[in-house]
Amino acid sequence: MFNPIFQDQIKIGLALNSKKYEFSNFHNLSSEPEQNGQPPTAHAPRVVETEDDEEEELTLKYGAKHVIMLFVPVTLCMVVVVATIKSVSFYTHNDGQRLIYTPFPEDTDTVAQRALNSILNATIMITVIIVMTLVLVLLYKYRCYKVIQGWLFLSSLLLLFFFSYIYLKEVFKTYNVALDYLTLAVIIWNFGVVGMMCIHWKGPLRLQQAYLIMISALMALVFIKYLPEWTAWLILAVISVYDLLAVLCPKGPLRILVETAQERNEPIFPALIYSSTMVWLVNMADTDRPNRNSTEAASSQQEPPQPVASPAPSSPSQDDGGFNSTWVNQQQHQLGPLHSTEDTRREIQQMPSARPPAEDDDEERGVKLGLGDFIFYSMLVGKASATASGDWNTTLACFVAILIGLCLTLLLLAIFKKALPALPISIFFGLVFYFATDNLVQPFMDKLALHQFYI
Amino acid sequence: MNLERLPNEEKLSLCRKYYLVILVLMPLIFSGGFAFLPFLWLVNVVWFFKEAFLKPAYTEQLLIKTYVKRSALGLLLWVAVLTTWNIIFQHFRAQWGEVGDNLSFTIPLGIP
Repeated sequence: MFNPIFQDQIKIGLALNSKKYEFSNFHNLSSEPEQNGQPPTAHAPRVVETEDDEEEELTLKYGAKHVIMLFVPVTLCMVVVVATIKSVSFYTHNDGQRLIYTPFPEDTDTVAQRALNSILNATIMITVIIVMTLVLVLLYKYRCYKVIQGWLFLSSLLLLFFFSYIYLKEVFKTYNVALDYLTLAVIIWNFGVVGMMCIHWKGPLRLQQAYLIMISALMALVFIKYLPEWTAWLILAVISVYDLLAVLCPKGPLRILVETAQERNEPIFPALIYSSTMVWLVNMADTDRPNRNSTEAASSQQEPPQPVASPAPSSPSQDDGGFNSTWVNQQQHQLGPLHSTEDTRREIQQMPSARPPAEDDDEERGVKLGLGDFIFYSMLVGKASATASGDWNTTLACFVAILIGLCLTLLLLAIFKKALPALPISIFFGLVFYFATDNLVQPFMDKLALHQFYI
Repeated sequence: MNLERLPNEEKLSLCRKYYLVILVLMPLIFSGGFAFLPFLWLVNVVWFFKEAFLKPAYTEQLLIKTYVKRSALGLLLWVAVLTTWNIIFQHFRAQWGEVGDNLSFTIPLGIP
């Protein structure tokens, strides 16, 4: 269904980018066989001009399909979070524990005090996030890759083992089923190790996507449990604003990160970005990849230093130039019960692309969405289902709002073709819908139901 | 990752790596001394199943088949062991009294 000529141009353009002339690896070259073996420069102008014609048409074609490709994981994540919230009371039960980042309690006597406390909490959190982001950008700029990778490794280790242990414990408690230590150990061990392998090394795409969804859901559940209400909503709002600023302002840390990565022509982190298609680079440099020691933690250096298909306008055929969506925004802050893990979690949100996009991929280009986005979307929907008086109405309203926001963001992405923050639009819609539904629609529905008046 | 993209040698080495990870990790691990990773074997089997059995033959396929078969065997063994143990545990937990409680991670409330 894709225009084969365009695909050829893409491949040639990509070959220009990556300086590889592995045309034999490309499929669908049947329409232009005479180009094989000819120097690519001769085709450069042709690449550009046909590109432009095809661009408009193809961005739209890509748009719908990729929107759907992102809907599914976001929906799944939200479903998992909402299902857990509804069934496992642990996550809604406020047992007075708070994170050190939100030291001010919200069960105060006066509303004003509560408001003040929540503002202070949110401020502390945002400051922590900003500091973390800056640290990350600095580390990246000064090439301290090992530190970053170790950080990421530790944080995913924590998520995969510790949080899933707690999750499993609570689920079994809720359903009143006995579980012995041996089986538990086997389950957690397997889940964790295979998860680490899938995320940081190699694994089947579906499994990797599933793991990313699961850890996002776990993280969102932690947030929902440990953030008091007003603080949570405030944080969501402030994070969206911060996201917007960090990605779009010229001096924003995330923008600096992206630009530095582009200058160095390397994939941004071996970190956690959800990518909807596989990313496997079929070129010569890859043949020695699998022979590397699989116990190496960081996979980033294992990826060949291909130019990342980040939205660099210079190369006309960046494959998912328009769709490297919001991987840059991940710097969402994570809270955690343990201080040391705070930092590690922070990292997770730093999304930059886990793997370089599939450049030689003649199927659909992938869309990438950062895990921080998953986490905050799920957190919004989860909080809505946990604390709203309107219950399912509100939950569904928020869900729809977030998806609409996601569509709009992807549309903007297709138009602007640069890294965009995924949070602001969706979170804004979500918040508006949440408060509106909770306070306006629900009482209305209640009254109608009370009077048995169906509309 | 999309298996069709991989050249055959890489597929083989990937399959072998997964299998070997179990063997290599075995001496190194804490609580049991074994790697205890049936899930990894499951992933191996599922992922490479099509490659090993449903594709027209190519040179490395034989080895891939061997590894897939061995992983499947190991997996079946583990499943049998776990199922047996769980049946025993769930059935006799109450009767074991204190030992049962010590073994339990979560103890159901209200049921003896």
